[in-house]
Amino acid sequence: MAAMPALSQKLVNRLVIAAFLLGFATLVGVGVSAGLVLQRNVAYTDLVSHTYQVQDAISRFRIMTERVETARRGYLLARDPSFFAVYDEAARDLPERLERLRALTADNPRQRENVAELHNLMARQLGSIRESVTVARAGGPAVADFATDDAVIATRRIRALTEQMADAEQRLLTERDEARRDVLNDLFRTLIAAGVLLALVGAGTVWTIVRFTRDLASSRDELRRLNEGLEDEVTARTADLQRANDEIQRFAYIVSHDLRSPLVNVMGFTSELEAAVKPLSGLIEKADAEVPELVSNDARLAVREDLPEAIGFIRTSTQKMDRLINAILRLSREGRRVLTPESIDTQRMLEGIADSLKHRSDAEGATIRIEPGLPNVVSDRLALEQIFSNLVENALKYLKPGRPGEIVVSGYAQHGRAVFEIQDNGRGIDAKDHERIFELFRRSGLRISPAKASVWPTCAPSATASAERCPCNPPLTRAPPSAFQCRSY
Amino acid sequence: MSEQRHVTIVMIEDDEGHARLIEKNIRRAGIANAIRHFADGTSALKHLDEAAQDHVHGPALVLLDLNLPDMSGTDILAKIKSDERLKRTPVVVLTTTDDKVEIQRCYDLGCNVYITKPVAYEAFADAIRQLGLFLSVIQVPEIES
Repeated sequence: MAAMPALSQKLVNRLVIAAFLLGFATLVGVGVSAGLVLQRNVAYTDLVSHTYQVQDAISRFRIMTERVETARRGYLLARDPSFFAVYDEAARDLPERLERLRALTADNPRQRENVAELHNLMARQLGSIRESVTVARAGGPAVADFATDDAVIATRRIRALTEQMADAEQRLLTERDEARRDVLNDLFRTLIAAGVLLALVGAGTVWTIVRFTRDLASSRDELRRLNEGLEDEVTARTADLQRANDEIQRFAYIVSHDLRSPLVNVMGFTSELEAAVKPLSGLIEKADAEVPELVSNDARLAVREDLPEAIGFIRTSTQKMDRLINAILRLSREGRRVLTPESIDTQRMLEGIADSLKHRSDAEGATIRIEPGLPNVVSDRLALEQIFSNLVENALKYLKPGRPGEIVVSGYAQHGRAVFEIQDNGRGIDAKDHERIFELFRRSGLRISPAKASVWPTCAPSATASAERCPCNPPLTRAPPSAFQCRSY
Repeated sequence: MSEQRHVTIVMIEDDEGHARLIEKNIRRAGIANAIRHFADGTSALKHLDEAAQDHVHGPALVLLDLNLPDMSGTDILAKIKSDERLKRTPVVVLTTTDDKVEIQRCYDLGCNVYITKPVAYEAFADAIRQLGLFLSVIQVPEIES
């Protein structure tokens, strides 16, 4: 196949259409030429039958002239009176027959001349016959010599002339027959040519289609091969990604542990400092009371205010850092958890979550409504539960003060995915924060009720592993639905 | 009590600060035993090996951190516990790792006590003091020859 250039769909279409057109044109041509040939054939047949008629007329004329001559001889020899009847018939019949012959040969100048000659001969024959009979009746001598008799000569000449005419007609007949056969042969040739052409077109079309089909098959195979290659590539990339992801999680784990180590020191020695401040401030106090001039203002200030303040800041900062490190640690642990997909009745799961949050929602004066008909999914139960409860909990945490909270959970299946929406009438998320809130340790605006340092760290790895996040669509003024999609396997 | 004075505490801890804090709190708990501090696994193992050979150092107790620069703490633990002469030496793992799998692994290898270093110093100091109480009542075997 490689040697042959691939046929494009367009080219094949064109070729096939051209072949069909050629085929139709051939058929039409064959029809027209057959019609023409038939017409010509009919014309030739007419001509042939005309020739036959002419031949017939000639022979009839000749028979009559022979008959009248024979009758005369009969009369002259045996005085047979039936001669007169024959003669009368001939005298009446011959001009008629000649007239018919003339009419038939009107198209042929040569035969017309002959007919004119026949006319004269006929007149001569009839005339001399009558004459000889009249002489014989009157008792005159019979015909002296038939060899020199005028009527006999005329009759002979008529015989010769009619034979000549008949020959001419015979020749014409042969010619016309041949012409007719030629026409038929032409038709056969045309039919054969058309047949060959049709066969060629048919063969060409079949070849084109077969080749095109083969091209299609080979390109389909090629496509399949590429597709399989693609799958391998996807598998390889997925493995790469998995490795990278594992690496990141290991990194997070190690880093959070390594960060803890210095933190232990910071906290520990801060406490040691604090403990050291006590005897120092006791000393300052004692000195202040006993020898005040020994204590400078700076020293007093340092022990009483600066040191406790510095230690306080170090403490709060370290505690905050500890929280962050713990969150990272939790994140890396969640990411390492093996997800086990199972069939989940999301309706029941969400109702359970709503029940477990009932105490809090009642305290906030909020209602949680789970719409019926949530699509069921196959996913990791723990991860999904965590995502749902985090989202619902967040909705509860970020209510708008002064407005009774209303949280609606709905969902639908779409294109093989399950889409869940958690909608609330809380204070909303500013459009510019829609991406930001998915980052670690981030939130939008002020916190109202105390919340976890971040909800996302515990939820993100599960969400990315089993579902994918989805933009918060409606803007700030309306409820901000935290929607997410979940592949339903 | 007098016997316990001879028990040497071998502390394997790469972080000087941690080592200092541990020592301070052990002293605060009233434990006066000698503390030998090693910042890496190689020298600590060398010391333990020499002690087993020379009989000069008497019984020991090992305080072990898992994150060391030259080798993993679990390797040291495995070496101590697989050594016929050292395997009865009590090992207290004192580290920041609170991973369940890691803790299990240490106990499987024969660790006697596993203590997670809390970041909150009060808890840390408390844990060390508890350890001190533990050290004051523990009977440590002689390193066998």
